[in-house]
Amino acid sequence: MYRKQVRRRRAVLALLVIGSFVLLTATYQGSRGFQGGVSTIFSPVQSVADRALKPARDLVGWFDKTFDARGENSRLKEQLVKAREQAVAGQVAMQENAQLRKLVDLDTGPTLAASAYKEVTGRVIARSPTVWRSSVSIDVGSGDGVQVDDPVISGDGLVGRIASAEPGSSQVMLLTDHASAISAKVVPAGVQGVIKPEVGNPEDLVLDFIDSTGKEIRGMAVVTAGWRAQGLASHFPAGLPVGEVTRASVFEQEANQQVHVRPYADLRNLDFVQVLTGGSRQ
Amino acid sequence: MILTPQILVRIVAIAFLGVLLQLSFFSQVELFHVSPDVLPALVVCLALLGGSLTGAVCGFAIGLFVDCLLVEALGITSLVLLGIGYGAGLFRERFEIHGALIPALLCMGLTLLAELGFAVIQLMLGIDAPVSTLIIRDMLLKSVYAFFLAWPIYLGVRRALRPALVEDPKVRRRREPTVLGT
Repeated sequence: MYRKQVRRRRAVLALLVIGSFVLLTATYQGSRGFQGGVSTIFSPVQSVADRALKPARDLVGWFDKTFDARGENSRLKEQLVKAREQAVAGQVAMQENAQLRKLVDLDTGPTLAASAYKEVTGRVIARSPTVWRSSVSIDVGSGDGVQVDDPVISGDGLVGRIASAEPGSSQVMLLTDHASAISAKVVPAGVQGVIKPEVGNPEDLVLDFIDSTGKEIRGMAVVTAGWRAQGLASHFPAGLPVGEVTRASVFEQEANQQVHVRPYADLRNLDFVQVLTGGSRQ
Repeated sequence: MILTPQILVRIVAIAFLGVLLQLSFFSQVELFHVSPDVLPALVVCLALLGGSLTGAVCGFAIGLFVDCLLVEALGITSLVLLGIGYGAGLFRERFEIHGALIPALLCMGLTLLAELGFAVIQLMLGIDAPVSTLIIRDMLLKSVYAFFLAWPIYLGVRRALRPALVEDPKVRRRREPTVLGT
C-alpha cells in the first residue's frame, strides 16, 4: 500500500516536472494565447485588489521612504543647484534656437516627436515578484489602442515598453528588465549608446556601446535617440527623458564603452503610467 | 490531510488570495529596497500541512497562475515552486514538526532556495544584461521577510484547513474526553 502511494507520488511529481518543461518550450515557441486569456479574465479582479490595497501599500511605502529621506534630502539639494544652472543655460539656448530657426526659416511647430503620439493613461495593477523579470501589468490594453512595443512613460520619464497587449490589460517591460535595450543619447554631449539594465539594481542602468569623446559627461541627461533609417524607426520618439549619468569613469568609458545612468522614473513605485500609442505606426 | 471537495475549494481560495496579494500588494511595496515574496512561503506552509503531493501540485498550480497573470514565460515559476513544495512535504513526512520555529525556518531556507533556483533557471535561459551583486542582498532579504511572514501564513493556512488535518493537536485534544468516556 505504502509502495503504491510512493509510486503514485513520484509519478505525479514526474508529470508536473515534464509539464513545466513542456510549458516552457511552448512559451519559447511563441504560444501565449492561453496566458492572454487568463490575464484578461482576471485583470478586473486585480484592478479591484490593487485599489483596495493602495492604502496599505502607501503605509509600507511611508516607512521605507522615511528611512531613505535623509540621504535623499542632500542629494536633492545638489540636484537643485545643478537644475538651476541647467535652467539658465536652457533659457539661453532656447533664445538662441528661436533666433536660428528664424534665420533658416524652419516652422515653429512642436519639436518633440512625441507630439505625434496619443497618451493612454493606465493604472499599475500587478508587478512581477522577482527581480529577474521586471514587468508590471496595467489596466489598459488593445481595446484602448495599446499595441505591443508602444513606449510607456511616467511623470518623470521613460518607464519601458509594452511587451504584450490583451483587450483589457497589458504588460509593460520595464527599463530594468534584462531583455530591455533602448537606443539613447547623452545631451548636450551628443554621445549615443544603448541603455541596458543591471539586473538586480533598479537604480542603475548602463549606457553601453558609447563612442567616448573624452568629455566629462557626468551629471548630463540621457534621452531616447529615436533613430530612423532605411524605412526602419525606433519604437521610442526622440527626446524622451530616461535618466542622468551618475558614474562615468575614464576607464569604463575607454575600456568598456559604458557609463552608468540613474533612471528619472521611480521604477519601484509606479502607480500610474502613460502609454504613447500610435506614433511610429502613423 | 483528508482531501474533500470542500478542502480543495479552500486550498484553491488560499492559493488565489495568495497570488492576488503577492502581485497587487507585496510585489509593489519595498522595505530596504526589497519586495517580499510570499508565494514560496505559502507553498511551503501548504506542503507542511498537506504533504509532498499537495505541496508539489500547489506549487505547480500557483506558479502557473502567476506566469499566466503576468504573461511571462510559462513553466519557470511552476518548476521552482513545485520543487520547494515537494521538498517541504517530504520534510513533513519524514520528520516530526515539534518546534514553533520550524515552519518559519523552513520558509526562510526554502525561499532562499527558490530564489537561487529561479536565478539558475534564468541564467541557463540567458540574461542579456550585466547582473548586479545587489541580487544577493535581494535574495537574502527576501528569505528574512519570509521568516517573519511565515508565522501568519502558517497559522492562517492551518486554521483554514483544520477540518482536514488528522494530526492537528487541537482536534485530538477535543476528541480525547469522548474516547475516555466510552
